[in-house]
Amino acid sequence: MLSRLALVSASALKSSGPLGAGLVQASRSIGTSPQSLAPVPPLPEKGGQVRHGIIPEELFQFLYPKTGVTGPYMLGTGLLLYLLSKEIYVINHETFAAASIGIVIVYGIKKFGPSVAAFADKLNEEKVSKAQEVKDLAVKSLTEAIEEEKKEQWRAEGRQMLFDAKRNNVVMLLETNHRERLHMVTNEVKKRLDYQIDVQNLHRRLQQEHMVDWVEKNVIKSITPQQEKESIAKCITDLKKLAQTAKATA
Amino acid sequence: MMLSFFDQFASPTYLGIPLIALALSLPWILYPTPSNRWLNNRLLTLQAWFINRFTQQLLLPLNIGGHKWAMLFASLMIFLMTLNLLGLLPYTFTPTTQLSLNMGLAVPLWLATVIIGMRNQPTIALGHLLPEGTPAPLIPVLIIIETISLFIRPLALGVRLTANLTAGHLLIQLIATAAFVLFPMMPTVAILTSTVLFLLTLLEVAVAMIQAYVFVLLLSLYLQENV
Repeated sequence: MLSRLALVSASALKSSGPLGAGLVQASRSIGTSPQSLAPVPPLPEKGGQVRHGIIPEELFQFLYPKTGVTGPYMLGTGLLLYLLSKEIYVINHETFAAASIGIVIVYGIKKFGPSVAAFADKLNEEKVSKAQEVKDLAVKSLTEAIEEEKKEQWRAEGRQMLFDAKRNNVVMLLETNHRERLHMVTNEVKKRLDYQIDVQNLHRRLQQEHMVDWVEKNVIKSITPQQEKESIAKCITDLKKLAQTAKATA
Repeated sequence: MMLSFFDQFASPTYLGIPLIALALSLPWILYPTPSNRWLNNRLLTLQAWFINRFTQQLLLPLNIGGHKWAMLFASLMIFLMTLNLLGLLPYTFTPTTQLSLNMGLAVPLWLATVIIGMRNQPTIALGHLLPEGTPAPLIPVLIIIETISLFIRPLALGVRLTANLTAGHLLIQLIATAAFVLFPMMPTVAILTSTVLFLLTLLEVAVAMIQAYVFVLLLSLYLQENV
């Protein structure tokens, strides 16, 4: 609301004559502000120090240079006695009621104060721990992801070796195949050559046999019956001779 | 001018300015405004926790239509509880001892619940006038009784709060006066009376909180019937 007032007065000044415009130039322009809400200044760790529950420590510090340690207490006592003696504060039934409620309040604060404070701290602590848990979980999962990534990189390096091995395998297979085919080719060629050789041998044998047969036939044909008889007679005489010799030796 | 025990309940004015306006508005400064921070100081944390828990508990039996009253109930509860508890301090004035204030809170809120019920679901709202399972001859009488009970509700709400607090304050004053008067004469009896006063103060602290809670709880019950 006050900022609106400032804006209205600034615009009024601007439009009010030559001096007004010059005055406004010095102030900050509309739409910007030197104030900023972020970052939020941190909360102090502990609340303001008090003595005896309600009297701020600053009073004691303020009076210490002039009146020492007992100064504020003297002030309090003197004030109380002054009020009582001059009957500015009259003791009546309300004093008893005040004493009663005062005892209740003091007892309540002394007894339940620390536990209530601890409870409030616990509420805040739970909030922080929940957020911290989320953050820790995220950090943990990210670290694990980094580890996994490193492992994958190591595996990728290992894959090179795998590829080399596979390449070797393939090369060997090709080589084996090639050699098998060479072998097969050699065998086939040899078979064909063997066939040719066999054919030639066959030819020669046939020729030989044919020649032998022809010679035999011719010889048999050339043996006249006269020669046959002569040869048989010769054989008989030979045989007789042999028999004689055999008989002689035996 | 003779002071009677009822002068503590006179609405205080100063130079014609009704100070009840201050008594009603100043308790607001006791409650810090929720800030933008994620982690707050203890007072703000406890306040937020208490209001959240209380509203959650109060709105459990209500359906979605009743949840519109959440802010009203929570602020009414905090308001009444603060007024009652601050009234226990000496030399203070408790606005909730004024019947006008309590009727001013009870009648409009109760009437709002009745009108909501009559507008949105008139059959069900009128059906509440007859409890289930009544024998047939009793029906006319029971309807009359239930109607009277319905219209007594705002009166009961207002007067309950007023009477409890007024009685409590009066008792405190009386017993404190007794202790004060007996103190110079019979100190031992005065000490006994002071003990009674102490116990009564404890009771009054409890009553202050309970009465505020009962007021809001009954309103939520009336809302439950009608929404």
